Amino acid sequence: MNAAAWTCLALPLASALAITACGTSLSRRAAGYVSTATAFGSFGAALAAFALMLGKTPGERAQATTSWTWLSAGRYSFGLTLLTDQLSVLMMLIVAGVGSLIVAYSIGYMDGEDEERRYFAYMSLFLFSMLLLVQGGNLLLLLAGWGMVGLSSYLLIGFHQERPAAVAAAKKAFVMNAFGDATMALALFLLVQQTGRLDYGGVFAAAPHGGAVANLVALGLLGGAVAKSAQIPLHTWLPDAMEGPTPVSALIHAATMVTAGVYLIARTHPLFENAYVVEDLAAGLGAATLLAAGLIALVQVDIKRVIAYSTMSQIGYMFVGAAGGAYPSGMFHLMTHAFFKALLFLAAGIAIHALAGEQDLRRMTGLGRTMPHTSRAFLVGCLALVGIPPFAGFFSKDAILAAVLDRGAFGWVLFACGLAGTFLTGLYTFRLYFVVFGRTGAARPHLHGTREGPVSMVSTVTVLAALSAAGGFLQLAPVWTPLTTWLTPAAEPFAEASSWEEALASAAAVALGAAGIYAAYAAYVARTLRIPAAWPALERKLYWDELYDVLFYRPADLAARALRRFFEQPVVAGSIGEVGRGFRLGAGEVSRVQSGLVRAYVLALAGGLAVLAVVFLSTR
Amino acid sequence: MHGPDVGWYLVLAALLFVTGALGVLVRRSPLIILLSVEIMLNGANLALISFARRLGHADGQVFAIAVMAVAASEVVVGLGLIVAMGRRNVELDVDKLRTLRG
Repeated sequence: MNAAAWTCLALPLASALAITACGTSLSRRAAGYVSTATAFGSFGAALAAFALMLGKTPGERAQATTSWTWLSAGRYSFGLTLLTDQLSVLMMLIVAGVGSLIVAYSIGYMDGEDEERRYFAYMSLFLFSMLLLVQGGNLLLLLAGWGMVGLSSYLLIGFHQERPAAVAAAKKAFVMNAFGDATMALALFLLVQQTGRLDYGGVFAAAPHGGAVANLVALGLLGGAVAKSAQIPLHTWLPDAMEGPTPVSALIHAATMVTAGVYLIARTHPLFENAYVVEDLAAGLGAATLLAAGLIALVQVDIKRVIAYSTMSQIGYMFVGAAGGAYPSGMFHLMTHAFFKALLFLAAGIAIHALAGEQDLRRMTGLGRTMPHTSRAFLVGCLALVGIPPFAGFFSKDAILAAVLDRGAFGWVLFACGLAGTFLTGLYTFRLYFVVFGRTGAARPHLHGTREGPVSMVSTVTVLAALSAAGGFLQLAPVWTPLTTWLTPAAEPFAEASSWEEALASAAAVALGAAGIYAAYAAYVARTLRIPAAWPALERKLYWDELYDVLFYRPADLAARALRRFFEQPVVAGSIGEVGRGFRLGAGEVSRVQSGLVRAYVLALAGGLAVLAVVFLSTR
Repeated sequence: MHGPDVGWYLVLAALLFVTGALGVLVRRSPLIILLSVEIMLNGANLALISFARRLGHADGQVFAIAVMAVAASEVVVGLGLIVAMGRRNVELDVDKLRTLRG
């Protein structure tokens, strides 16, 4: 099992190194095949680890393996440890599984791009970083993986480095993620100070219960989770990150990296349980994000941005679930979301690819006739996203909604937000579907050869569609709960929904989701519902970018200008000029001593010697 | 022990050294200055040999021979320069030879 875990982690790294080292001696296509083969190999290793784990009793399934001591300072030492337990194996399967499908899809999508090798090297690097994040056996390795996925995300968002918008988006994503990394590092400092160790078991056993320190630790971890998962208030980077190639958006900004925050909460749940206030804050942020993102998604006109806001909204659900104590439900939604959101992005990618890069909804209409297969796959993704039974989203989202009812009055507030979010999900998702695939307008001529793209793209979309359609049957709470049983030893939920809560949540969520779909139908197909003029605040994305502009950019800019004007120019630049002038003056004076009169030099020498002789003789 | 005390030799060495130093300081002809430098060197040599005698070591005498060798080569170079200057009709006055001043 340990060997399988190491293989799973090492293969993508080997691929990234190999592609980088081989350079142009590896053909572009071969780089894609190497990257895909290692990703599938990694998935195979994850499956092997899973199979071996199935053969053990639940108590023996968690295993840590240390290869060597990574860092050692004074009394502290941190090993390069991999922890393979139920939670990390689930994440390994999701990351390597969805990741390998998306890398395979990239072979078709990136065909003919410049610098395909660089792309595939980055993709492999990302897979390695993400696997390090989920497999790391202590918080320090988790943080290392955390920072490295931020780096890979930066590299991939800015892949089209000739486009200024892509570079700006990459920078924005990196800065916001770095903020999260910093708060997380602070939390780790506190933990080291309090407990002297960072391995999961030891930290959880020794961490302080309640009080300011526990709250600060949880708050720091939450800061990291919020930044990585694009939750309010650190969410503005995710929509801009859509500047990257579409498979990148699918892999990093939908299926895996952005869900790392949910994994973090599930992984460090004892620390969050020690700080109830922060846990409630996380759930509240999730609820706020799912509503705000759902509202903004209604008016966006870029197909990828709509899906990006939908991602934020769905991660909001996961936060509500995970912070509400229903860790298995949060992880379950993470898994189904990885399936259907990757599907939506990849299907949208086929449409974008066919239209030679067109992403504006208003100019991509009537694709249902010309690409029926993609259209069907997209419909499956939409239904799964809205949560219509029997598609995957139904099972996972309703489990979250039911579980929060366990939390008393605050739970009802979260529940209400979640239900409102369901209606919004139905509305914005099917707006997208009806506008892009439904309407019978004339599609623009295809610029690429085949009708729906190469085999590598169509086949991966088909696999993901099958997973989105059937993936939900893994768990039907409260009747059939293998996932909860599986995850309980690693993250025991403290919120369990009763049967009537499940029934209520399911009925209400499905009804509201269907209502949302109907509203979209009425507004965009039947035209019986007049579309209200888009609220300007929504079109400006609720003014978050403007708020950050006023709060951070402008004051920093002003301060920098003032410093330059009142400090740098007079003091720094001025002082340098003065110092130079002083030296030149002094040198001029000193050079007059050098008269060229040899006898004067000798006199100085003799006089100096005489003085020295007197001094030495008198002080003997 | 024959002859005068070693102290007298040291006094003579000091006199020779001071004479040479005064010559370097007050005279302006490079030829005389070179000569005075030689006197200073010989004063030092005398002191070295006196101490060698006093302490019963040969080290001082070895040093004195080395100094003589250096002084000889110095005189060769110095005199060569002075002769060259005389041939070019340069006025032999160190106070006037100031062109190498930086």
